[in-house]
Amino acid sequence: MNAVIDVQHLKKTFNKETALQDVSFSIQKGEIFGFLGPSGSGKTTTIKILTAQTEKTAGDVLLFGRPANEMKQSNNRKRFGILTDNSGLYTRLSIEENLLLFSNLYQLPKSAIKEALDFVNLYGDRKKKISQLSKGMMQRVTLARAIMHKPELLFLDEPTSALDPVNTQHIYNGLRKLNEMGTTIFLTTHDMSEAEILCDRVAFLHKGKIRAIGAPKDLKKEFGDDSITVELKNGASEVIQNGKQDAEKLFHWMQSNEVSRIYTNEPTLGNIFIQITGSDLV
Amino acid sequence: MNISMTRIQAILMKDYKEFSRNYAVSVMVFMPLVFAFLYNKSGSATIAIYILSINMAFSMVTTYVQCCLIAEEKEKNTLRSLMLSPASLGDILIGKSLFVFIITMVVVALTIFIAGYNPANLFILAIALILSTVFYIALGTLCGLFSKTIMEGSLITLPVVLIFSCGPLALALPSANPISKIAEWLPSSQLVLLAEALEGSYITMDIIIPITSIIVWSLVTWIVAGFIYKKRMVD
Repeated sequence: MNAVIDVQHLKKTFNKETALQDVSFSIQKGEIFGFLGPSGSGKTTTIKILTAQTEKTAGDVLLFGRPANEMKQSNNRKRFGILTDNSGLYTRLSIEENLLLFSNLYQLPKSAIKEALDFVNLYGDRKKKISQLSKGMMQRVTLARAIMHKPELLFLDEPTSALDPVNTQHIYNGLRKLNEMGTTIFLTTHDMSEAEILCDRVAFLHKGKIRAIGAPKDLKKEFGDDSITVELKNGASEVIQNGKQDAEKLFHWMQSNEVSRIYTNEPTLGNIFIQITGSDLV
Repeated sequence: MNISMTRIQAILMKDYKEFSRNYAVSVMVFMPLVFAFLYNKSGSATIAIYILSINMAFSMVTTYVQCCLIAEEKEKNTLRSLMLSPASLGDILIGKSLFVFIITMVVVALTIFIAGYNPANLFILAIALILSTVFYIALGTLCGLFSKTIMEGSLITLPVVLIFSCGPLALALPSANPISKIAEWLPSSQLVLLAEALEGSYITMDIIIPITSIIVWSLVTWIVAGFIYKKRMVD
Protein backbone atom coordinates (compact mmCIF):
# COMPACT_ATOMS: atom_id res chain seq x y z
CA MET A 1 0.00 0.00 0.00
CA ASN A 2 1.16 3.52 -0.82
CA ALA A 3 -0.05 5.79 2.01
CA VAL A 4 0.28 9.49 1.29
CA ILE A 5 -1.02 10.35 4.76
CA ASP A 6 -0.73 8.05 7.75
CA VAL A 7 -2.06 9.28 11.08
CA GLN A 8 -1.91 7.07 14.17
CA HIS A 9 -3.32 7.93 17.61
CA LEU A 10 -3.11 11.66 16.98
CA LYS A 11 -3.88 13.84 19.97
CA LYS A 12 -3.98 17.60 20.17
CA THR A 13 -4.79 19.72 23.19
CA PHE A 14 -4.99 23.49 23.44
CA ASN A 15 -4.21 24.42 27.04
CA LYS A 16 -6.35 21.81 28.79
CA GLU A 17 -8.97 21.46 26.06
CA THR A 18 -8.76 18.38 23.85
CA ALA A 19 -9.25 19.18 20.17
CA LEU A 20 -8.31 15.74 18.77
CA GLN A 21 -8.23 12.44 20.58
CA ASP A 22 -6.82 9.13 19.32
CA VAL A 23 -7.43 10.02 15.66
CA SER A 24 -6.14 7.35 13.27
CA PHE A 25 -6.58 7.07 9.52
CA SER A 26 -4.52 6.64 6.41
CA ILE A 27 -5.04 7.89 2.88
CA GLN A 28 -3.75 6.08 -0.17
CA LYS A 29 -2.25 7.72 -3.24
CA GLY A 30 -4.96 8.86 -5.65
CA GLU A 31 -7.79 8.82 -3.10
CA ILE A 32 -10.28 11.60 -2.44
CA PHE A 33 -10.77 11.42 1.30
CA GLY A 34 -13.53 13.36 3.04
CA PHE A 35 -13.07 14.49 6.62
CA LEU A 36 -16.56 15.31 7.73
CA GLY A 37 -17.79 16.98 10.83
CA PRO A 38 -19.53 20.04 12.20
CA SER A 39 -17.72 23.31 12.90
CA GLY A 40 -15.34 22.94 15.83
CA SER A 41 -14.99 19.17 15.46
CA GLY A 42 -11.23 19.37 14.76
CA LYS A 43 -11.10 19.28 10.94
CA THR A 44 -9.03 22.42 10.48
CA THR A 45 -6.75 21.49 13.39
CA THR A 46 -6.04 18.19 11.62
CA ILE A 47 -5.11 20.03 8.39
CA LYS A 48 -2.88 22.40 10.36
CA ILE A 49 -1.04 19.47 11.98
CA LEU A 50 -0.68 17.69 8.62
CA THR A 51 0.79 20.82 7.03
CA ALA A 52 3.11 21.56 9.99
CA GLN A 53 1.29 24.74 10.98
CA THR A 54 0.48 23.35 14.42
CA GLU A 55 2.44 20.94 16.61
CA LYS A 56 0.70 17.72 17.63
CA THR A 57 0.48 16.81 21.31
CA ALA A 58 0.92 13.06 20.76
CA GLY A 59 0.72 10.38 18.07
CA ASP A 60 2.40 9.73 14.73
CA VAL A 61 1.70 11.79 11.63
CA LEU A 62 3.43 10.83 8.39
CA LEU A 63 3.13 12.53 5.01
CA PHE A 64 4.72 10.76 2.05
CA GLY A 65 6.27 8.43 4.64
CA ARG A 66 8.07 11.26 6.44
CA PRO A 67 7.13 13.03 9.70
CA ALA A 68 4.68 15.88 9.01
CA ASN A 69 7.07 18.27 10.74
CA GLU A 70 9.37 17.95 7.71
CA MET A 71 6.71 19.69 5.62
CA LYS A 72 8.18 22.94 6.98
CA GLN A 73 11.10 22.41 4.63
CA SER A 74 10.94 24.55 1.55
CA ASN A 75 11.23 21.69 -0.98
CA ASN A 76 8.58 19.58 0.74
CA ARG A 77 6.07 22.42 0.55
CA LYS A 78 6.01 21.99 -3.24
CA ARG A 79 4.46 18.56 -2.72
CA PHE A 80 1.17 19.85 -1.34
CA GLY A 81 -1.33 22.60 -2.01
CA ILE A 82 -3.74 24.04 0.51
CA LEU A 83 -6.97 25.99 0.54
CA THR A 84 -8.37 27.06 3.89
CA ASP A 85 -10.77 29.81 4.88
CA ASN A 86 -7.81 31.84 6.15
CA SER A 87 -5.70 31.54 2.99
CA GLY A 88 -5.15 35.24 2.39
CA LEU A 89 -4.84 37.15 -0.87
CA TYR A 90 -3.18 40.49 -1.60
CA THR A 91 -6.20 42.74 -1.98
CA ARG A 92 -4.44 45.61 -3.77
CA LEU A 93 -3.09 43.29 -6.44
CA SER A 94 -5.02 41.79 -9.34
CA ILE A 95 -5.89 38.11 -9.61
CA GLU A 96 -3.07 37.69 -12.13
CA GLU A 97 -0.54 39.54 -9.93
CA ASN A 98 -1.43 37.33 -6.97
CA LEU A 99 -0.87 34.19 -9.01
CA LEU A 100 2.27 35.62 -10.60
CA LEU A 101 3.82 35.97 -7.14
CA PHE A 102 3.12 32.35 -6.31
CA SER A 103 4.12 31.06 -9.73
CA ASN A 104 7.50 32.71 -9.09
CA LEU A 105 7.73 31.28 -5.58
CA TYR A 106 7.05 27.81 -7.00
CA GLN A 107 9.25 28.64 -10.00
CA LEU A 108 6.56 27.71 -12.53
CA PRO A 109 6.23 28.84 -16.15
CA LYS A 110 3.76 31.68 -16.86
CA SER A 111 1.45 29.19 -18.60
CA ALA A 112 0.66 27.71 -15.16
CA ILE A 113 -1.28 30.90 -14.31
CA LYS A 114 -3.58 30.53 -17.33
CA GLU A 115 -4.12 26.83 -16.63
CA ALA A 116 -5.03 27.52 -13.00
CA LEU A 117 -7.36 30.38 -13.92
CA ASP A 118 -9.09 28.24 -16.55
CA PHE A 119 -9.54 25.59 -13.87
CA VAL A 120 -11.54 27.99 -11.69
CA ASN A 121 -13.20 29.76 -14.64
CA LEU A 122 -11.59 33.13 -13.90
CA TYR A 123 -9.22 33.75 -16.81
CA GLY A 124 -11.46 36.50 -18.22
CA ASP A 125 -11.38 38.33 -14.86
CA ARG A 126 -7.61 38.06 -14.34
CA LYS A 127 -7.02 41.84 -14.41
CA LYS A 128 -9.57 42.50 -11.64
CA LYS A 129 -8.24 43.56 -8.25
CA ILE A 130 -8.93 41.15 -5.39
CA SER A 131 -10.68 43.95 -3.47
CA GLN A 132 -13.32 44.06 -6.25
CA LEU A 133 -14.15 40.35 -6.06
CA SER A 134 -17.02 38.55 -4.37
CA LYS A 135 -16.27 36.01 -1.63
CA GLY A 136 -16.92 33.17 -4.05
CA MET A 137 -14.50 34.59 -6.62
CA MET A 138 -11.83 35.02 -3.94
CA GLN A 139 -12.30 31.39 -2.97
CA ARG A 140 -11.77 30.39 -6.59
CA VAL A 141 -8.57 32.47 -6.77
CA THR A 142 -7.30 30.75 -3.62
CA LEU A 143 -8.14 27.39 -5.14
CA ALA A 144 -6.30 28.36 -8.34
CA ARG A 145 -3.27 29.23 -6.22
CA ALA A 146 -3.49 25.91 -4.36
CA ILE A 147 -3.53 23.79 -7.53
CA MET A 148 -1.27 25.93 -9.73
CA HIS A 149 1.85 23.83 -9.03
CA LYS A 150 -0.02 20.53 -9.56
CA PRO A 151 0.63 19.21 -6.05
CA GLU A 152 0.75 15.50 -5.23
CA LEU A 153 -1.52 16.17 -2.26
CA LEU A 154 -4.22 18.80 -2.02
CA PHE A 155 -5.80 19.95 1.26
CA LEU A 156 -9.19 21.57 0.76
CA ASP A 157 -11.00 23.06 3.74
CA GLU A 158 -14.64 23.71 2.74
CA PRO A 159 -13.66 24.44 -0.88
CA THR A 160 -17.11 25.28 -2.23
CA SER A 161 -18.69 26.91 0.83
CA ALA A 162 -19.05 30.31 -0.85
CA LEU A 163 -19.73 29.15 -4.42
CA ASP A 164 -22.90 29.15 -6.51
CA PRO A 165 -24.12 25.81 -7.96
CA VAL A 166 -22.66 26.44 -11.44
CA ASN A 167 -19.17 27.19 -10.12
CA THR A 168 -19.45 24.39 -7.56
CA GLN A 169 -20.09 21.94 -10.40
CA HIS A 170 -17.18 23.44 -12.37
CA ILE A 171 -14.88 22.95 -9.35
CA TYR A 172 -16.11 19.38 -8.82
CA ASN A 173 -15.29 18.53 -12.44
CA GLY A 174 -11.87 20.13 -12.08
CA LEU A 175 -11.11 18.27 -8.85
CA ARG A 176 -12.07 14.96 -10.45
CA LYS A 177 -9.77 15.75 -13.36
CA LEU A 178 -6.92 16.61 -10.95
CA ASN A 179 -7.58 13.37 -9.09
CA GLU A 180 -7.50 11.38 -12.33
CA MET A 181 -4.09 12.94 -12.98
CA GLY A 182 -2.89 11.46 -9.67
CA THR A 183 -3.50 14.17 -7.07
CA THR A 184 -4.58 12.84 -3.70
CA ILE A 185 -7.24 15.07 -2.15
CA PHE A 186 -7.94 15.58 1.55
CA LEU A 187 -11.25 17.37 1.77
CA THR A 188 -12.92 18.69 4.89
CA THR A 189 -16.53 19.71 4.67
CA HIS A 190 -19.79 19.71 6.53
CA ASP A 191 -21.63 19.44 3.21
CA MET A 192 -22.59 15.76 3.06
CA SER A 193 -23.78 15.90 -0.53
CA GLU A 194 -20.36 17.26 -1.57
CA ALA A 195 -18.71 14.32 0.19
CA GLU A 196 -21.05 11.84 -1.50
CA ILE A 197 -20.32 13.30 -4.93
CA LEU A 198 -16.55 13.52 -4.59
CA CYS A 199 -15.14 11.18 -1.97
CA ASP A 200 -13.88 7.62 -2.30
CA ARG A 201 -13.84 7.32 1.49
CA VAL A 202 -15.04 9.50 4.33
CA ALA A 203 -14.39 9.77 8.06
CA PHE A 204 -16.89 11.25 10.50
CA LEU A 205 -15.21 13.46 13.06
CA HIS A 206 -17.16 14.48 16.10
CA LYS A 207 -15.81 16.25 19.19
CA GLY A 208 -12.24 15.41 18.19
CA LYS A 209 -12.81 11.68 17.64
CA ILE A 210 -13.35 9.64 14.50
CA ARG A 211 -16.75 7.93 14.86
CA ALA A 212 -16.86 6.03 11.56
CA ILE A 213 -14.70 5.63 8.49
CA GLY A 214 -15.26 3.97 5.13
CA ALA A 215 -16.56 4.31 1.57
CA PRO A 216 -19.92 6.15 1.42
CA LYS A 217 -21.67 3.12 -0.11
CA ASP A 218 -20.28 0.79 2.60
CA LEU A 219 -21.36 3.16 5.37
CA LYS A 220 -24.83 3.37 3.83
CA LYS A 221 -25.02 -0.41 3.75
CA GLU A 222 -23.80 -0.67 7.33
CA PHE A 223 -26.04 1.99 8.82
CA GLY A 224 -29.03 1.92 6.49
CA ASP A 225 -31.74 -0.58 5.63
CA ASP A 226 -32.46 -2.06 2.23
CA SER A 227 -36.20 -1.36 2.16
CA ILE A 228 -38.01 0.74 -0.40
CA THR A 229 -41.03 3.00 -0.01
CA VAL A 230 -43.91 2.74 -2.47
CA GLU A 231 -46.36 5.58 -2.86
CA LEU A 232 -49.69 4.61 -4.35
CA LYS A 233 -51.97 6.68 -6.51
CA ASN A 234 -54.60 6.73 -3.75
CA GLY A 235 -52.14 8.67 -1.55
CA ALA A 236 -51.12 5.75 0.69
CA SER A 237 -47.49 4.80 1.09
CA GLU A 238 -45.95 1.57 2.29
CA VAL A 239 -42.46 0.35 3.19
CA ILE A 240 -41.51 -2.79 1.30
CA GLN A 241 -38.88 -5.15 2.72
CA ASN A 242 -36.87 -7.77 0.86
CA GLY A 243 -38.84 -11.03 0.76
CA LYS A 244 -41.42 -13.00 -1.16
CA GLN A 245 -44.48 -11.61 0.65
CA ASP A 246 -43.65 -7.95 -0.01
CA ALA A 247 -42.49 -8.74 -3.54
CA GLU A 248 -45.90 -10.19 -4.38
CA LYS A 249 -47.59 -7.11 -2.91
CA LEU A 250 -45.41 -4.82 -5.05
CA PHE A 251 -46.01 -6.97 -8.15
CA HIS A 252 -49.75 -6.73 -7.58
CA TRP A 253 -49.70 -2.91 -7.28
CA MET A 254 -47.63 -2.58 -10.37
CA GLN A 255 -49.79 -4.93 -12.36
CA SER A 256 -52.91 -3.00 -11.41
CA ASN A 257 -51.17 0.31 -12.22
CA GLU A 258 -51.56 1.66 -8.67
CA VAL A 259 -47.95 2.77 -8.11
CA SER A 260 -47.27 6.51 -8.16
CA ARG A 261 -43.64 6.61 -6.93
CA ILE A 262 -40.95 4.24 -5.65
CA TYR A 263 -37.84 5.29 -3.76
CA THR A 264 -35.13 3.62 -1.68
CA ASN A 265 -34.74 4.21 2.03
CA GLU A 266 -30.96 4.37 1.73
CA PRO A 267 -29.70 6.89 4.30
CA THR A 268 -27.73 9.96 3.32
CA LEU A 269 -24.33 10.53 4.91
CA GLY A 270 -26.03 13.27 6.95
CA ASN A 271 -28.54 10.73 8.31
CA ILE A 272 -25.71 8.37 9.21
CA PHE A 273 -23.79 11.13 10.95
CA ILE A 274 -26.82 11.98 13.09
CA GLN A 275 -27.38 8.30 13.78
CA ILE A 276 -23.78 7.84 14.97
CA THR A 277 -23.22 11.03 16.90
CA GLY A 278 -26.73 12.01 17.92
CA SER A 279 -26.08 15.54 16.70
CA ASP A 280 -26.46 17.51 13.50
CA LEU A 281 -23.73 18.76 11.20
CA VAL A 282 -24.11 22.47 11.80
CA MET B 1 19.46 28.18 4.44
CA ASN B 2 17.67 27.65 1.12
CA ILE B 3 17.71 31.04 -0.62
CA SER B 4 16.46 31.75 -4.15
CA MET B 5 16.94 35.01 -6.02
CA THR B 6 13.78 34.37 -8.07
CA ARG B 7 11.71 34.09 -4.91
CA ILE B 8 13.37 37.12 -3.28
CA GLN B 9 12.71 39.16 -6.42
CA ALA B 10 9.08 37.97 -6.53
CA ILE B 11 8.49 39.11 -2.94
CA LEU B 12 10.31 42.39 -3.59
CA MET B 13 8.13 43.16 -6.64
CA LYS B 14 4.97 42.20 -4.78
CA ASP B 15 5.88 44.52 -1.89
CA TYR B 16 6.64 47.34 -4.30
CA LYS B 17 3.22 46.99 -5.97
CA GLU B 18 1.39 46.73 -2.65
CA PHE B 19 3.32 49.68 -1.16
CA SER B 20 2.79 51.96 -4.15
CA ARG B 21 -0.99 51.38 -3.91
CA ASN B 22 -1.16 51.77 -0.12
CA TYR B 23 -1.19 55.55 0.29
CA ALA B 24 -1.68 55.45 4.08
CA VAL B 25 1.76 53.86 4.45
CA SER B 26 3.60 55.20 1.40
CA VAL B 27 2.92 58.83 2.34
CA MET B 28 5.23 58.33 5.36
CA VAL B 29 8.30 58.47 3.10
CA PHE B 30 7.70 62.22 2.66
CA MET B 31 7.68 63.03 6.40
CA PRO B 32 11.47 62.98 6.98
CA LEU B 33 11.91 65.02 3.80
CA VAL B 34 9.56 67.69 5.15
CA PHE B 35 11.46 67.73 8.46
CA ALA B 36 14.78 67.98 6.63
CA PHE B 37 13.44 70.93 4.63
CA LEU B 38 12.20 72.65 7.81
CA TYR B 39 15.54 72.08 9.61
CA ASN B 40 17.37 73.49 6.62
CA LYS B 41 15.18 76.61 6.62
CA SER B 42 15.45 77.02 10.43
CA GLY B 43 19.17 77.68 10.07
CA SER B 44 20.06 75.44 13.07
CA ALA B 45 22.78 73.62 11.18
CA THR B 46 24.40 71.34 13.75
CA ILE B 47 25.48 67.72 13.25
CA ALA B 48 22.97 66.62 15.91
CA ILE B 49 20.14 68.22 13.92
CA TYR B 50 21.27 66.67 10.63
CA ILE B 51 21.45 63.23 12.22
CA LEU B 52 18.13 63.81 13.98
CA SER B 53 16.43 64.11 10.59
CA ILE B 54 18.25 60.97 9.39
CA ASN B 55 17.21 59.08 12.54
CA MET B 56 13.64 60.21 11.92
CA ALA B 57 13.88 58.75 8.43
CA PHE B 58 14.99 55.45 9.96
CA SER B 59 12.13 55.35 12.45
CA MET B 60 9.35 56.78 10.31
CA VAL B 61 10.25 55.06 7.07
CA THR B 62 12.44 52.02 7.73
CA THR B 63 10.86 50.73 10.93
CA TYR B 64 7.32 51.94 10.26
CA VAL B 65 7.07 50.69 6.67
CA GLN B 66 8.66 47.31 7.48
CA CYS B 67 6.36 46.92 10.47
CA CYS B 68 3.26 47.82 8.42
CA LEU B 69 4.23 45.48 5.56
CA ILE B 70 4.53 42.55 7.97
CA ALA B 71 1.53 43.52 10.13
CA GLU B 72 -0.68 43.76 7.04
CA GLU B 73 0.47 40.33 5.85
CA LYS B 74 -0.55 38.98 9.25
CA GLU B 75 -3.85 40.86 9.28
CA LYS B 76 -4.82 39.47 5.87
CA ASN B 77 -3.38 35.99 6.49
CA THR B 78 -1.03 36.35 3.54
CA LEU B 79 2.08 35.80 5.66
CA ARG B 80 0.80 32.28 6.40
CA SER B 81 0.28 31.73 2.67
CA LEU B 82 3.88 32.80 2.04
CA MET B 83 5.08 30.53 4.85
CA LEU B 84 3.25 27.58 3.27
CA SER B 85 4.85 28.25 -0.12
CA PRO B 86 8.40 27.09 -0.95
CA ALA B 87 9.70 30.52 0.11
CA SER B 88 12.16 29.99 2.96
CA LEU B 89 12.60 32.17 6.04
CA GLY B 90 15.56 33.79 4.26
CA ASP B 91 13.59 34.42 1.04
CA ILE B 92 10.73 36.11 2.89
CA LEU B 93 12.83 38.21 5.26
CA ILE B 94 15.38 39.25 2.61
CA GLY B 95 12.64 39.92 0.00
CA LYS B 96 10.66 42.14 2.36
CA SER B 97 13.75 43.82 3.82
CA LEU B 98 15.32 44.54 0.44
CA PHE B 99 12.37 46.66 -0.60
CA VAL B 100 12.51 48.72 2.62
CA PHE B 101 16.30 48.92 2.35
CA ILE B 102 16.06 50.48 -1.14
CA ILE B 103 13.40 52.98 -0.03
CA THR B 104 15.46 53.89 3.05
CA MET B 105 18.59 54.51 1.00
CA VAL B 106 16.69 56.86 -1.32
CA VAL B 107 14.96 58.71 1.54
CA VAL B 108 18.16 59.07 3.61
CA ALA B 109 20.07 60.36 0.58
CA LEU B 110 17.32 62.90 -0.12
CA THR B 111 17.17 63.85 3.57
CA ILE B 112 20.92 64.57 3.63
CA PHE B 113 20.61 66.57 0.42
CA ILE B 114 17.55 68.59 1.52
CA ALA B 115 18.94 69.24 5.03
CA GLY B 116 22.11 70.55 3.39
CA TYR B 117 24.38 68.19 5.33
CA ASN B 118 27.84 67.82 3.87
CA PRO B 119 29.62 65.08 5.86
CA ALA B 120 33.39 65.30 6.26
CA ASN B 121 33.85 61.56 5.62
CA LEU B 122 31.01 60.27 3.50
CA PHE B 123 32.47 56.77 3.17
CA ILE B 124 32.54 56.00 6.92
CA LEU B 125 29.19 57.69 7.46
CA ALA B 126 27.69 55.63 4.59
CA ILE B 127 28.86 52.41 6.27
CA ALA B 128 27.22 53.50 9.53
CA LEU B 129 24.02 54.47 7.69
CA ILE B 130 23.82 51.10 5.92
CA LEU B 131 24.36 49.24 9.21
CA SER B 132 21.73 51.44 10.88
CA THR B 133 19.29 50.62 8.08
CA VAL B 134 19.85 46.91 8.73
CA PHE B 135 19.13 47.48 12.43
CA TYR B 136 15.96 49.53 11.86
CA ILE B 137 14.65 46.93 9.37
CA ALA B 138 15.12 44.26 12.06
CA LEU B 139 13.32 46.49 14.54
CA GLY B 140 10.44 46.97 12.07
CA THR B 141 10.30 43.22 11.46
CA LEU B 142 10.09 42.60 15.18
CA CYS B 143 7.36 45.23 15.64
CA GLY B 144 5.45 43.70 12.70
CA LEU B 145 5.69 40.20 14.13
CA PHE B 146 4.24 41.42 17.42
CA SER B 147 1.33 43.25 15.71
CA LYS B 148 -1.84 41.57 14.53
CA THR B 149 -3.06 44.51 12.42
CA ILE B 150 -1.65 47.61 10.73
CA MET B 151 -3.37 49.69 13.40
CA GLU B 152 -1.54 47.78 16.13
CA GLY B 153 1.70 48.07 14.15
CA SER B 154 1.33 51.85 13.95
CA LEU B 155 0.86 52.01 17.70
CA ILE B 156 3.78 49.74 18.46
CA THR B 157 6.16 51.80 16.31
CA LEU B 158 5.26 55.04 18.13
CA PRO B 159 7.51 54.41 21.18
CA VAL B 160 10.18 53.16 18.78
CA VAL B 161 10.08 56.47 16.90
CA LEU B 162 10.20 58.33 20.21
CA ILE B 163 13.06 56.34 21.76
CA PHE B 164 15.29 55.93 18.73
CA SER B 165 14.70 59.27 16.98
CA CYS B 166 14.60 61.47 20.03
CA GLY B 167 16.91 59.37 22.26
CA PRO B 168 20.04 61.26 21.14
CA LEU B 169 18.48 64.47 22.50
CA ALA B 170 19.24 63.03 25.96
CA LEU B 171 22.94 63.39 25.14
CA ALA B 172 22.47 67.09 25.88
CA LEU B 173 21.75 66.20 29.53
CA PRO B 174 24.67 66.23 32.01
CA SER B 175 26.84 63.16 31.38
CA ALA B 176 26.29 61.89 34.96
CA ASN B 177 22.55 61.66 34.33
CA PRO B 178 21.55 57.97 34.08
CA ILE B 179 19.17 58.68 31.17
CA SER B 180 22.04 60.23 29.25
CA LYS B 181 24.23 57.20 30.02
CA ILE B 182 21.62 54.78 28.69
CA ALA B 183 20.73 56.95 25.69
CA GLU B 184 24.38 57.14 24.72
CA TRP B 185 24.30 53.46 23.74
CA LEU B 186 21.30 53.71 21.44
CA PRO B 187 22.31 53.13 17.81
CA SER B 188 20.83 56.52 16.94
CA SER B 189 23.06 58.21 19.54
CA GLN B 190 26.06 56.27 18.33
CA LEU B 191 25.36 57.61 14.84
CA VAL B 192 25.38 61.18 16.23
CA LEU B 193 28.63 60.56 18.12
CA LEU B 194 30.22 59.07 15.02
CA ALA B 195 29.10 61.92 12.78
CA GLU B 196 30.39 64.47 15.28
CA ALA B 197 33.72 62.65 15.56
CA LEU B 198 34.08 62.60 11.77
CA GLU B 199 33.86 66.40 11.66
CA GLY B 200 36.90 66.80 13.94
CA SER B 201 40.21 65.00 14.50
CA TYR B 202 39.15 61.52 15.47
CA ILE B 203 41.01 58.41 16.61
CA THR B 204 40.22 54.86 15.37
CA MET B 205 38.22 54.01 18.48
CA ASP B 206 35.86 56.94 17.75
CA ILE B 207 34.88 55.01 14.61
CA ILE B 208 35.10 51.43 15.85
CA ILE B 209 32.94 51.86 18.97
CA PRO B 210 29.86 53.35 17.20
CA ILE B 211 30.12 50.93 14.24
CA THR B 212 30.52 47.92 16.56
CA SER B 213 27.62 48.95 18.76
CA ILE B 214 25.32 49.38 15.73
CA ILE B 215 26.42 45.94 14.47
CA VAL B 216 25.68 44.40 17.89
CA TRP B 217 22.22 46.05 17.98
CA SER B 218 21.53 44.72 14.46
CA LEU B 219 22.69 41.19 15.21
CA VAL B 220 20.73 40.89 18.44
CA THR B 221 17.55 42.32 16.90
CA TRP B 222 17.80 40.05 13.83
CA ILE B 223 18.36 36.96 15.98
CA VAL B 224 15.29 37.81 18.08
CA ALA B 225 13.26 38.59 14.90
CA GLY B 226 14.27 35.26 13.31
CA PHE B 227 13.35 33.38 16.50
CA ILE B 228 9.94 35.09 16.76
CA TYR B 229 9.26 34.48 13.04
CA LYS B 230 9.94 30.76 13.46
CA LYS B 231 7.63 30.67 16.47
CA ARG B 232 4.92 32.46 14.43
CA MET B 233 5.17 29.77 11.75
CA VAL B 234 3.25 27.40 14.03
CA ASP B 235 0.07 28.20 15.98
